[in-house]
Amino acid sequence: MKIVIVHTLRFLFFVLAQSLIFNQLEVGFGIHPMIYPLFIVLLPFEINTLLLLLIALITGLCIDSLSNTYGLHTSSLLVVAYLRPIIFKIFAPRDGYDANKEGSISEMGQRWFIYVFGILLLIHHFWFFMLEMFKWNEILLILKKTILSLPISYLLCVLLQVVFVSKPKER
Amino acid sequence: MHNLRAFFRRFRVFLLFVLLQVFALSNYFTSLNFPRSQYLTTASSIAGSFLSIEFEITKHWNLGTNNEKLQKENIRLRKKMPNSFIRLNNGIVKINDTLYKQQYEYIPSIVINSTFDKRNNYFTLNSGSSQGIKRGMGVFSDKGIVGVIHNVSENYSVVKSVLTSDINLDVMIESSGAFGLLKWNGINSRIGSIDGISNDIKIKKWSKVVTRGGSGIFPRGLMVGKIKKLGSVEGKPLWDVSIVYSEDYRKIQNVYIVKNLMQEEQNKLEDKIPEDKEE
Repeated sequence: MKIVIVHTLRFLFFVLAQSLIFNQLEVGFGIHPMIYPLFIVLLPFEINTLLLLLIALITGLCIDSLSNTYGLHTSSLLVVAYLRPIIFKIFAPRDGYDANKEGSISEMGQRWFIYVFGILLLIHHFWFFMLEMFKWNEILLILKKTILSLPISYLLCVLLQVVFVSKPKER
Repeated sequence: MHNLRAFFRRFRVFLLFVLLQVFALSNYFTSLNFPRSQYLTTASSIAGSFLSIEFEITKHWNLGTNNEKLQKENIRLRKKMPNSFIRLNNGIVKINDTLYKQQYEYIPSIVINSTFDKRNNYFTLNSGSSQGIKRGMGVFSDKGIVGVIHNVSENYSVVKSVLTSDINLDVMIESSGAFGLLKWNGINSRIGSIDGISNDIKIKKWSKVVTRGGSGIFPRGLMVGKIKKLGSVEGKPLWDVSIVYSEDYRKIQNVYIVKNLMQEEQNKLEDKIPEDKEE
């Protein structure tokens, strides 16, 4: 029960932060920071993929309805949710995932997080900007937007975890 | 039958993914041209009220510049008021003007949410159908045009701004009268382009670009921008005209909505034109 409440609060936080803060940040150079893929990655390891897709759908629709993108965020987030189990499987630790843990930096380590989250975020950003432009002769602009936005989104996600997610551990 | 059930079980994740993806993408691509519902946009009351709260917090950030802009416009309008003119000829009494009839009315509104560096930028206004706003009305600010109303709910409306890929407003060059369609390439929010001006028309740099008023969305002669660069389109006898918008869409807040009192009359007349039949 506790885990449901935690993730519901996180859901509210990510939806509101993305649509009211990060969508309004207009840095220039086509940079568009997107942090909500972190919400999907932080969901429990054991979660059913069908449920995961439905959660992604709801999250995406909420963000879309607050930022006039009509399904752009939903589509990108569905890709992340669909690929999550596959990427997780590739980078699984030798003795499998611990059901008590979650996919954050502090619990899974820097190395795992860079690979898993980096790849998912790259795919998400590329998909998003590709759909937003939807023209092959603008491929350079798509790549530029992806490459410039990716580090910013990644750093923001790391900072968010340092500030909010990580708990002091005694071991 | 058994095989079919096994197939569905095996690929159920993929099938659900495809189903949801089709839903999201069809919603996205149809809404670019014609919005199906207002519920998944900021015109819906829930999203609108969230954005109103946000606007209440952030509106003070640009208060200084916005006040200045409004003040300037006030001065300009005040100059036109009857009491700022001296009467030169006392003999003329104005009774009922039959030469001029009001065609356009303006509804003031405030932009409560806007973006400028996405591929398609939509602005949310804090007035809707209860103020008489309908889909397809034009929106402009004191400096230039802003866009066309895309979606309306009771108290909010969404504007498809000139910073979208297929805005296609008809604009003309004031000095020569050559007209074309306004486009935006999605890179710089200050720079747009005009499509479809034949290259045998002489065009001067820095000449004014204004609305043509052809479709009745905007009155004729509203400022759009100035021509910045001229080039030629490869393989076509057309100019490639880039313009600098006169309005800075990054700081937009106070806008007006155009209500054309004779739109219906124009539409009725234009509907009578027989359409070209494709064979």
